[in-house]
Amino acid sequence: MVHFAISRVLWLLPTLLAMALVTFLVMHATPGSPLDPVAEGANPLSPEAQQNLARHYGLDRPLYMQFAIFVGNSLRGDFGNSFVYRTRSVREILVDTFPISLLLGSMALALAVAGGLALGILAAMYQNRAWDYVSVTVATAGVAVPNFVLAVFFIILFSFVIPLFPTGGWDSPRNWVLPTVTLALAPMGIIARFTRASMLEVIRADYTLTARAKGLAEGPVIFKHVLKNALIPIVTLLGPMFAAVGTGSFFVESIFRVPGMGRFFVLSMTGRDYPMIMAVVLTYGAFLAVMNLVVDLAYGALDPRIRY
Amino acid sequence: MKPPRIDDAQLDLLATRLAATGVARRDFLRVAAGLTALGGGLFTARESSAASKPAAGEKLAKEQVLRMGGGGWYQNDPGSHDFNKDLYCNGVAELWAGLMKFNADFQAVPYVASKVTSNTDGSTWTFTIRKDSKWSDGSPCTARDFEYSWKRQLDPATAAPYASFLYDIKNGEAFNKKQITDASQVGVRAKDDWTLEVTLEGPRGYFPVLSAYLAALPGHRGSIEKYGDKWTEAGNIVSNGPFVLESWEHNKQMVLKKNPHFINAKDVRLEKVIIPIVPVASGALPYENNELDLTVLQTADMKRLQGDPKTAPQVFRFPYPGTWYLTPQVTKPPFDNVKVRRALGHAIDRDNVVRVSQGFAIPAHSMIPPGFPGALDDKKIRDIQRFDPKAAMAMLKGTPYEGGRNWPKVTLTMREEGLGSKPLAEAVQAVLLEHLNLKTDLEVVEQRVFRERLWKQELQLVWIRWFMDYPDPHNEYFDTFYGKKTTGKRQAWTNDAFDKELESGRDTRDAKKRLAHYAKAEEILQTDAGYVPVAWVLRWAAAKPWVRGIETNKAGDRVVIGNIYVDMLSHLYVAERA
Amino acid sequence: MALSTPGSGTSLDGAPPLEGALSPTGETVRIGPTRSRTGTSLWRDAWRRLLRNKLAVAGGIVVVVLVLIALFADVLAPYPYTKTNFGRLNEGPTRDYPLGTDQLGRDMLSRMVYGARVSMLVGLGAQVLIVIIGVPIGALAGWAGGRTDTLLTRFIDVMYAFPRLLFVILVMSMLGAGLMNIFIAIGLTGWVGIARQTRAQVLALKEKEFVEGARALGVRSWRLLRRHVLPNALSPIVVAVTFGIPEAIFTEAALSFIGVGINPPTPSWGQMVGEGQQYLRSSWHLCVVPSIAIAVTMLSFTFLGDGVRDALDPRLK
Repeated sequence: MVHFAISRVLWLLPTLLAMALVTFLVMHATPGSPLDPVAEGANPLSPEAQQNLARHYGLDRPLYMQFAIFVGNSLRGDFGNSFVYRTRSVREILVDTFPISLLLGSMALALAVAGGLALGILAAMYQNRAWDYVSVTVATAGVAVPNFVLAVFFIILFSFVIPLFPTGGWDSPRNWVLPTVTLALAPMGIIARFTRASMLEVIRADYTLTARAKGLAEGPVIFKHVLKNALIPIVTLLGPMFAAVGTGSFFVESIFRVPGMGRFFVLSMTGRDYPMIMAVVLTYGAFLAVMNLVVDLAYGALDPRIRY
Repeated sequence: MKPPRIDDAQLDLLATRLAATGVARRDFLRVAAGLTALGGGLFTARESSAASKPAAGEKLAKEQVLRMGGGGWYQNDPGSHDFNKDLYCNGVAELWAGLMKFNADFQAVPYVASKVTSNTDGSTWTFTIRKDSKWSDGSPCTARDFEYSWKRQLDPATAAPYASFLYDIKNGEAFNKKQITDASQVGVRAKDDWTLEVTLEGPRGYFPVLSAYLAALPGHRGSIEKYGDKWTEAGNIVSNGPFVLESWEHNKQMVLKKNPHFINAKDVRLEKVIIPIVPVASGALPYENNELDLTVLQTADMKRLQGDPKTAPQVFRFPYPGTWYLTPQVTKPPFDNVKVRRALGHAIDRDNVVRVSQGFAIPAHSMIPPGFPGALDDKKIRDIQRFDPKAAMAMLKGTPYEGGRNWPKVTLTMREEGLGSKPLAEAVQAVLLEHLNLKTDLEVVEQRVFRERLWKQELQLVWIRWFMDYPDPHNEYFDTFYGKKTTGKRQAWTNDAFDKELESGRDTRDAKKRLAHYAKAEEILQTDAGYVPVAWVLRWAAAKPWVRGIETNKAGDRVVIGNIYVDMLSHLYVAERA
Repeated sequence: MALSTPGSGTSLDGAPPLEGALSPTGETVRIGPTRSRTGTSLWRDAWRRLLRNKLAVAGGIVVVVLVLIALFADVLAPYPYTKTNFGRLNEGPTRDYPLGTDQLGRDMLSRMVYGARVSMLVGLGAQVLIVIIGVPIGALAGWAGGRTDTLLTRFIDVMYAFPRLLFVILVMSMLGAGLMNIFIAIGLTGWVGIARQTRAQVLALKEKEFVEGARALGVRSWRLLRRHVLPNALSPIVVAVTFGIPEAIFTEAALSFIGVGINPPTPSWGQMVGEGQQYLRSSWHLCVVPSIAIAVTMLSFTFLGDGVRDALDPRLK
């Protein structure tokens, strides 16, 4: 298993490098340069100002050199200064914002797991009967509405109609509730459905039949045997899911004014903030790879059939 | 002493300076109102505006704390508060106080400078600085600080993107472009602690006006040298304006505290200002939930806020003059035919089109909005833009598109922005289809890409707006349509007669004659259909009933923070909530 | 009896022919309810199982209705979707306008109907691209094995590691807005899942006896892949496509919300949701109506997809 883990970690570097290369090429192929003036109605900068700016950002060098410099610097953890927030380094910004997104994502995932498991188990236990339909509908409804609609809907419901929570911000735990719930609904739905499918598979399996044949009551059958086995494949789901919510959602963070990293997924694009785009993509990629590794190791530990 | 005469070559230069900073496109009103009629002692030491006094019986709240933001104000975290280096840092301007400032009528008035004088031809200006001018750490803010700041902006090592703003200063441009390396040759000099002498490249009667601008705000040398780029962070920054930066949680909020060392500190009533960073996506929700006291509004919130009797009185308009117009590209069919272009004017039902803007636009028949110098209410002009579907179709007779047939593919391009731009464009699409049978594809393009393509003149039909920089027709016509512009030309249309009228208007001294030239220019512009005016911009804000002290200008409009007038916070106070 | 591929049942699977009587020619004559004597394929079995799943059937019906609406939009919509009415902006449901009007006074019902067309196009178009890119890559990786497999798998892993939203926006910024470009953007960023699934399926099937058998019979590799292996690998692909359609609609909604999606006046549900979101407190029908439509579509495709997956799974009887 150690060998497995090490080889995965080693594969991370070339993967990230490839990701960086693809992003770099696509970024530079996109029209609209960061050298264009920031201001709304501004005239184009004079050629001298443009040259100055280009030199300042290192954009006047040939592409392969820019890439090489970027790789060299990022290995040392230096992604350069943001093109949009010019006095702050990308690293500084991410260090400030990533933990917040991580907190929000963790809470959302915890909620999603708790809710999803409950719904999924109910659905599987009462398959094709009322509970199943209700459960699946509720689960899918959470996935079916885009979260930027859900966000405003919740704000209206819980800030105005029933004044319980503030409309946004991140100061106290009260601010955490609405964004967490909004972010948790979609993963909850996915987990619920997955749980249901997994449990159904296990329920029908031979060893369950054996357990029942041996005379075990339904309760222990479900909770000791079925559940344990059913949950194992769900672990594989959690890896990418955590990577997705842990790096923040642009919509939820914007609408609820959460000062996290998710906003940069879009803002860095419109601002042509090259260093930020690269950093965000690589952070996401690395985080995903780490989560996948953790999940695979956990899977290996849980499932006696798997041997690395 | 008599203020120098400003000739129109200087006005032209002012236009260039302002245009180069691009600051241009925000409200920059009334700046040059005085320029064409200089002599009214505009730059003598009179207090700009008296401190706002509470009305009789008005009780002040115990805690003078204001929360503002939203709708576009600080929707992104500021890059810094260093206006001295980066005019578009998006920071809080009221941390600073310049030599002069703009009042609610957008006139430049003395601020940190108590007196501004010049030599006879206006090529050397002397600013006398108030002796009580201090930084927030108590140390004096002197002429040397301003000399340092302006030289810093011109220093090529600083790489300030809009240093060209100060190119009027002698050797400023040469220094900035590295043609000379000795900063002491640059024409700004502190004769002593309280006297700043500025030598210019030539007569520049408008220079004091420039010094009122955001680009001329000072920077604190000690902090800059100690902290480098990070000198505007909350713990490091030292400023000289009405407020200091008490805390700045990035991407979350900023908190301002009253600066006890500010020159007019006794007139500032607010103790604290809280500015959360609110993305536009949140709309007016925080304001409605009482998390903000003062906010700017977007179109979606208008109907609701105006419809509710509780919130309706809180909503008000503020001046933000601009014009929405179409530019049919004369180099691209079908718009290479002037009759087709003229038909557009008749086909647009402006009264109905502006309804979709929910109050953010009114019908326009020319470039200059009513109430500003050069505004036209000419029958001839109105006739050209009169909504008349029959006349529109009649215009097409003799063209290949007679009867509204055989139209080629037409793409209407606009840039991604708020203020109801998209619904207006869609409404224009709808009326063109209905009255000319002209089907258009709307293309919404990102800002940067839009500009690139605009300046290359590759767009076929453009939906675009222009914000007035200063209230002079020169701004409205020259920067937008002048044919001989070398960079940043928005369209391919040129017309020699039009250009000549603009040049005459620029070079004439007599105010009436000037306006006549510009009126003729507009007429030429419209008969040759270089553009099709559609609507004038309106903007709205909302303030809770306990927010008082918002200044009003001579026209009776309340004025809030824009790009020119930034002096709002030092006049506000909070009344006790009922 | 045709040469059948594994996973199918034949009518000889323990189902007794009913009421049969031998005719003079030796064929069995069916009297009364019967089951077909000819071999049923995987597909027919699956179809039967699908029909038994009520939720899936409900979902399927809705999907069919949506497709019909999309096809016959011109006939169904009471007004053209561009027809504005500046006097009646943002109105709620009335007799003239059963679903209300939008910011330009256009009929919501008509726009919803045409929006169905666009949303279906987005969903299907993107999926077509995803299948065209993903299936060959996955199949090639699984089938060829060895170094090709490793190379392709690495490539798939790298593409998988990209944050989807950012990458889609990146591609859209590169291409510009528009319907075709949305297909391309979603297609270019969404093929990874299907590639992986196809590869897994091909890998699994590669080892089965029937492949060995076919090889022994001299069937060439390419033909083997195409005619025998791939058809069996199709089931997860079908399932993935079914789930992918609402996902594409979603992505288009997100893109429109950000401002890089479909250009007006073409109505798409996603765009209507995006633009209506700011009006949720005043004219909520602008956002809620298309949201419900998207939700119902998503639900239907999900139930259908679930049903299809359950039906195609030979283990779940």
